Amino acid sequence: MKASIRKKAILLIIATFITLIFLAPNLWMLFGSFKSQNAMFALPPVWIPDFSYIKNFTIMLSESYTYLLNSIIVTICSTIVSLIFSLPTAFGLTFFKFKGRFFLADWILSTRMLPPVAAAVPLFILFKYLNLLDSLFALVIVYTAFNIPFAVWVSASFFKKIPYDLIEASRIEGASWFHIFLKIAIPLSKGGIATVAIFVFIFSWNELLIALFFTVSESRTFPIFISAQVSQAQIIWGNVAAATVIQSIPPILLTIFLQKNIVSGLTLGAVKN
Amino acid sequence: MQSEKIQKILFILPTCLFLLVISIFPFLYSVYLSLFQAKLTKMHKKFFIGWENYQVLLFEDDTFPTAIKNTFMIAFSSITIEIILGFIMAKIFFEIRHIKFSNALRTVTIMPIMLTPLCVGLVFLYILNPTLGIFSYILDTVFGIEPFAYLGEPIPAKISIIVINSWQWTPFMMILLLAGLMTVPNEQYEAAKIDGANWFHVMTKIEIPSILSFVLLGVVLRLIECIRLFDIIYITTKGGPGIATEVMAFFTYRTEFRSFQIGTGSASAVIILIISLIVTTIAVTLLRRVERNEGLN
Repeated sequence: MKASIRKKAILLIIATFITLIFLAPNLWMLFGSFKSQNAMFALPPVWIPDFSYIKNFTIMLSESYTYLLNSIIVTICSTIVSLIFSLPTAFGLTFFKFKGRFFLADWILSTRMLPPVAAAVPLFILFKYLNLLDSLFALVIVYTAFNIPFAVWVSASFFKKIPYDLIEASRIEGASWFHIFLKIAIPLSKGGIATVAIFVFIFSWNELLIALFFTVSESRTFPIFISAQVSQAQIIWGNVAAATVIQSIPPILLTIFLQKNIVSGLTLGAVKN
Repeated sequence: MQSEKIQKILFILPTCLFLLVISIFPFLYSVYLSLFQAKLTKMHKKFFIGWENYQVLLFEDDTFPTAIKNTFMIAFSSITIEIILGFIMAKIFFEIRHIKFSNALRTVTIMPIMLTPLCVGLVFLYILNPTLGIFSYILDTVFGIEPFAYLGEPIPAKISIIVINSWQWTPFMMILLLAGLMTVPNEQYEAAKIDGANWFHVMTKIEIPSILSFVLLGVVLRLIECIRLFDIIYITTKGGPGIATEVMAFFTYRTEFRSFQIGTGSASAVIILIISLIVTTIAVTLLRRVERNEGLN
């Protein structure tokens, strides 16, 4: 018994060390966000910065609040629109027994696997033609389209957990599909839907490539703003660090909420926890 | 019954139409554009040239073939590292899963997966900075190695990209394989113990066979991500030095949006698309199989 406790203790120490490997780079960036330009270049390095020095954050926020707001609007809107499209479809693919539903589900899934870069120019031309280039609307549409396949598949994996008898019983009582969807399926899959929403939110929040193609000035998102900081001749690293910290807050907080369902989400619902 | 049918259609059709317009149409249009010589700035002046874009891309210039090679080299190296380290980490976290504190450690470990790839690139750009980077400082003071431009030399730049990529995604392989290890029935471990099997036997005869489908799933999902690798390259090396870290997605972006050569760019987009379709077909089949396999539920 004693040997097994010692073994576990050693493994726990190793695990702590591993965790540090994945934590330290981010922590170093966080510390950097509280350093002045002098402290940034100091040798030996300033290990622990003065956390009351928040100038980097105030500079970044005052320069970028419109882009930050753009990011927030696009992310929230595309999350909501993705769910509005995906949830009924996922419900249908799970409970309607029609011919070709497996094929349809596979087709939806395969659109998720296609590389966005291959769609960028045609979409650019399409939105230019519609005069919607450099608009938040265009970004919401495209992010929604790229998120729907994911949302459909993962929601479907949660709908499948609903006992079919329950649906059957309501059908016999004469309930419409809309009623079953809104009053039974949605309430029973709240946790799953939250998982889908969080993933979709993070995907949209993290997106860079399409935003690079689509946004010129008005609709620039926060990642575009950050990458512009780095293309300047003289990089002000304190500012970049502060912006990186701001950008990282939502994914980090939301990952804590995902916990149990994270594997399921990352494998498009294939692996259940 | 008529209203029943309409209801069902209303559930499914809007999504299909949406995807057709915003997803399928663009991919087909890319195929069409790849047969033209066209500039993004002068769209009305495009003219048909057939396969010439592909000809130029694949046989007359070295950049795109290098980009394909680099993409797969980075994918292969990163995924191999991720599987090996991911498995070791999964084993460690599996052994200590009953200790409360290990949950907190695991949550922190998986953070990189969800972080904005752009930010991951920036974190490493900062760490690897030759003059003010912490990496240079440690290398210099501990090992006495002179700092150099890690992202500015071909081989170190390639290694850096692989390291950054694996750093972000090893935790993914870890939790996937951890989920796999959880499916191994406890009796099998007990039986192996009674038979006096050593750890190597347990690993090769019990663990690896039962997590194999998880490994496969992880490989395919990661391959899809690696094919579209863009953000980290964009922020750290921009494909450089020279074309040492040029990858397919970044090449396409550069051609289409920096040189405005959308004919050539679309041709390279179509080639990525074909490669993706092959991987996707495998992926969809695999996802279906894993999902249907009762043993994984």
